[in-house]
Amino acid sequence: MSGHHIIPMKFLLGTAGALFVLTALTVAVHYIHIPAPFNIIVAIGIAVLKASLVAMFFMGLFWDKKINTIALMLSVVFFVLMVGVTMLDTMFRDKPFGIYDKAPAPPATTSAAP
Amino acid sequence: MSHTDSMSANAHVQHHFVDSEQQFDSAKLGMWLFLVTEVLFFGGLFVAYIVYRAWNPELFTLAATQLDTVMGGINTLVLIGSSLTMALAIRYAQLNDAKKSFWMLGATIAAALVFMVIKYFEYTHKFHLGIFPGEAYTFTGIDHPKAHIFFSIYYMMTGLHGIHVLIGIGLIGWLMVKTKRGAFSAEYYTPVEITGLYWHLVDLIWIFLFPLLYLID
Repeated sequence: MSGHHIIPMKFLLGTAGALFVLTALTVAVHYIHIPAPFNIIVAIGIAVLKASLVAMFFMGLFWDKKINTIALMLSVVFFVLMVGVTMLDTMFRDKPFGIYDKAPAPPATTSAAP
Repeated sequence: MSHTDSMSANAHVQHHFVDSEQQFDSAKLGMWLFLVTEVLFFGGLFVAYIVYRAWNPELFTLAATQLDTVMGGINTLVLIGSSLTMALAIRYAQLNDAKKSFWMLGATIAAALVFMVIKYFEYTHKFHLGIFPGEAYTFTGIDHPKAHIFFSIYYMMTGLHGIHVLIGIGLIGWLMVKTKRGAFSAEYYTPVEITGLYWHLVDLIWIFLFPLLYLID
């Protein structure tokens, strides 16, 4: 019985309220049409903020044993690793570094037959 | 699980745990480790999304116009509301108020059903237009040779999420039966707590799906 944190009502209602407001904000930002990379940055930023609120106050990590937070953070780290390593491949398929070629490698996609 | 029927404070503690506290913490950590696998499970689909969006940025802008922002937005609010009622169900279980806990679980299921009904209307509208995943795609309204790829990713991500919502409905229904039978109290409410963690994760995934699929401009 000891140590079980009962989340105060004001935190639960406040978290839900903040999530509703941030949802409205992310939709509003969508209709404003912020120019290209910043629209994604703002959308993801708001989503990360909302996710943090859910994890801290609905899932109780704010009051919980730190080992549970560490577990969640590890999943984020390994997700970023999965994205990063995959994109090291997929983003550079058409642009070989040519470190093993004597001459600069010709573009792989164009086949200019005489 | 007959131990939960006893009214004795420590009757629920299995013999291999030191005390109720250690059993509770172990169950919770175990659930968090499962949620880690869930994050990476969805993570693979997010990787597919990121790779294909980086390859075809113009496709994602075109295709997202076929998704209904209003329906997606309402579903976001519905899921946030259901997360609140789930958290309240845990709170009332901790306060020994089984009756209120029961109704909060019921409200959570009701919200989950609203979510699935809206999802059903979204899906059937797309099927009507010929927007199917993969080779079955026959829609001609998007002028892009890889339009079907966006919708394959859309159906995989929202479909897997929808399956999680359905599983959540089943789990919360089971909690309602147990709550009605008086299985939970301030001393023992572990199933309510860890099902709550699962339900919040389902909400959390949708918080990322909504802007990434519906709000592309």
